[in-house]
Amino acid sequence: MCRAPSPSERNEGRVKRGSSVGIIANPASARDIRRLVAHGAAVTTNDKITILRRVLAGLASTDVTHVLSMTDLAGISAGLWALADKPSAACWPKLEFVDQVVEQTAADTVAATEAMVAAGVGAIVVLGGDGTNRIVASVCDDIPLVSISTGTNNAFARRIEPTVAGIAAGLVATGRVDVGAVVSRAKVLTVESGSRSERALVDVAVIDGDVVGAGAVWDPATISQLFLCFAEPDAIGLSSIGGQVCPTDRFDPAGLVVDIGRPAVRTLRAPIAPGLVVGVDVASVSTLAPGQAVVVRASSGVVALDGERLFRFGRHDRPIVTLGSDGPLELDVRETLAQAARTGVMSVPGRRCA
Amino acid sequence: MQQLNRLDLYREMVRIRQYESRILQEYHADKKPAWDIGAGLIPGEMHLSAGQEPAAVGVCAHLKQGDAITAPHRPHHFALAHGVDMKAMTAEIYGRTTGLCQGKGGHMHLFDPENHFSCSGIIAQGYPVACGQAMAMKRKGTDNVAVAVAGEGAANQGAFHESLNLAAVWNLPVVFVIEDNDWAISVPRSHSTATASNADRAAGYGMPGVRVEENDVEAIFEAAGAAIDRARAGEGPSLLEIHTLRLWGHFEGDAQAYRGAELDTVDERDPIPRYAAKLVELGELTEDQTESIAAEAAAEVDAAIAFAVDSPIPAPEDALLHVFA
Ligand SMILES: Cc1ncc(C[n+]2csc(CCOP(=O)(O)OP(=O)(O)O)c2C)c(N)n1
Repeated sequence: MCRAPSPSERNEGRVKRGSSVGIIANPASARDIRRLVAHGAAVTTNDKITILRRVLAGLASTDVTHVLSMTDLAGISAGLWALADKPSAACWPKLEFVDQVVEQTAADTVAATEAMVAAGVGAIVVLGGDGTNRIVASVCDDIPLVSISTGTNNAFARRIEPTVAGIAAGLVATGRVDVGAVVSRAKVLTVESGSRSERALVDVAVIDGDVVGAGAVWDPATISQLFLCFAEPDAIGLSSIGGQVCPTDRFDPAGLVVDIGRPAVRTLRAPIAPGLVVGVDVASVSTLAPGQAVVVRASSGVVALDGERLFRFGRHDRPIVTLGSDGPLELDVRETLAQAARTGVMSVPGRRCA
Repeated sequence: MQQLNRLDLYREMVRIRQYESRILQEYHADKKPAWDIGAGLIPGEMHLSAGQEPAAVGVCAHLKQGDAITAPHRPHHFALAHGVDMKAMTAEIYGRTTGLCQGKGGHMHLFDPENHFSCSGIIAQGYPVACGQAMAMKRKGTDNVAVAVAGEGAANQGAFHESLNLAAVWNLPVVFVIEDNDWAISVPRSHSTATASNADRAAGYGMPGVRVEENDVEAIFEAAGAAIDRARAGEGPSLLEIHTLRLWGHFEGDAQAYRGAELDTVDERDPIPRYAAKLVELGELTEDQTESIAAEAAAEVDAAIAFAVDSPIPAPEDALLHVFA
């Protein structure tokens, strides 16, 4: 199961190009109950704005001419807008905001991403956690994502400096690198339940009971089954459970199914949220082959996607989970900059900030 | 954490809504001329909490004997959810001698020492008071907690910031609740507040801050439970911001012209019918039960209003009693 991907597996996919880049920054990320029951970091609105300034500085060093940002009512777009005419922003690409009705829900992220797809941006920079990336990925088509973690659980996004992420996004959007060589297609878990169809980028968890409550999954005793796209041994979040019993690379075509409970074949400690390392009874582990449809074991419960409880199900709409290879295109920032180093594109003085 | 009891949460929200609806009716019934807030059986300004029931019910479900609440000028939902006697509270609102403060306080000044409930017309004023109560609890070695409630407008008062700082310095068992109903009278949050969420401000004082975006009693119940359990366990203060909904005006008589189109959808966002629909779908509430719960609440409210109306009005000379100067 744990073999390395071939280059052709990583490089598939049609990639759109353009000289504009989209920005999705979820104002609600890093504010949930996991600040109380675990020790999730606070990423304030001002922190997010500062991160975006770094992204914009990176973008400004490339030939990107336009940036299209999501509109929110929580201060991020207002903050960027207020900065845009300051001298320190003189070299920014032209900053525009999606003309959208702001509902202060995940629908805002969906609407903004759709607008970016329609506008033909060449890359989307995402600030959020796994939950935010999941929502962007549900509608982002084949636009490469550059994910910067500002969430609680960040298994999907890799640790990365925003300035460098901005440079990479700009090089990809403007076609200054061989895009096919620096993006790879992520896996995705599809959950069908009744008329509902949802996708997850990292994990689908089946939770006992019927409470959606505060959303975030934090009580390990309630988890009965896990479906994992990938499971890195050093991950934070629910996928860390799989990461310790059967590390599964994100480029491995298969995923994992982990049944939780007793009798346990193994009990392990897993960091399911920042600062929350809990004992978990693993009853069984099996490979989830791509395309294989698996009905969840429980006859009722709640489904959590990428760490967030989302909906209830019962006997009549028991979810079916399938692993697909048609997830979003992920940009490999390191690989992008490595290619830039080889071809020397960064040695040309930036257009705006010479 | 407390077990989630959906029917209890629903019943309490309906009880509060019945109360606010009846006070709304009674308040306007004899206000002549309509612009004279001193006229009629209920004198003075009136700030009703319709739409904000999930906050009070979700938080108070975790409180026990000896826990304290300080509420702001919009206090009825927290008073009722915290167990303040409905009759004595109503008599106070009507300015009668049988009221919590013998009719001297009115609707913004409900003091109930037995239940450790107080409120104030001075916004954010309850925050320092809750710190004091929490300090007493800590020094006595109890596991009680104090809950301070204020609106998002009040969070720009110095008292808010001083209290967060003090509570963090002294590691007090206090939970700061902000009810963000988008409006401070006619001022939207974006015009008054430099940060998008008070959860961010909590970070500045070194305490966890959580924002519950949905006006959903179960989401609030869970987050409040975590904050209160944490305080009880001696882990210190935290801040819980609840994005809620002001269903009606800031005060009774507020034409709300400033709300614009947002007002058109306000009824659709009413949290109580939504929750009822959810419980029906879950099979935890029947049509008959919905009616009986409403009827039960209406009867209790009727009795409280009758008690208030039948109670004596203080004599003019009583104004000189229980005053310091
Ligand atoms: C110290 C102080 N300043 C001003 C007022 C006048 N006032 C009464 S309510 C209010 C707005 C409160 O808004 P918010 O805190 O958001 O609570 P909400 O009314 O929305 O529940 C103001 C300014 C007051 N009562 N106290």
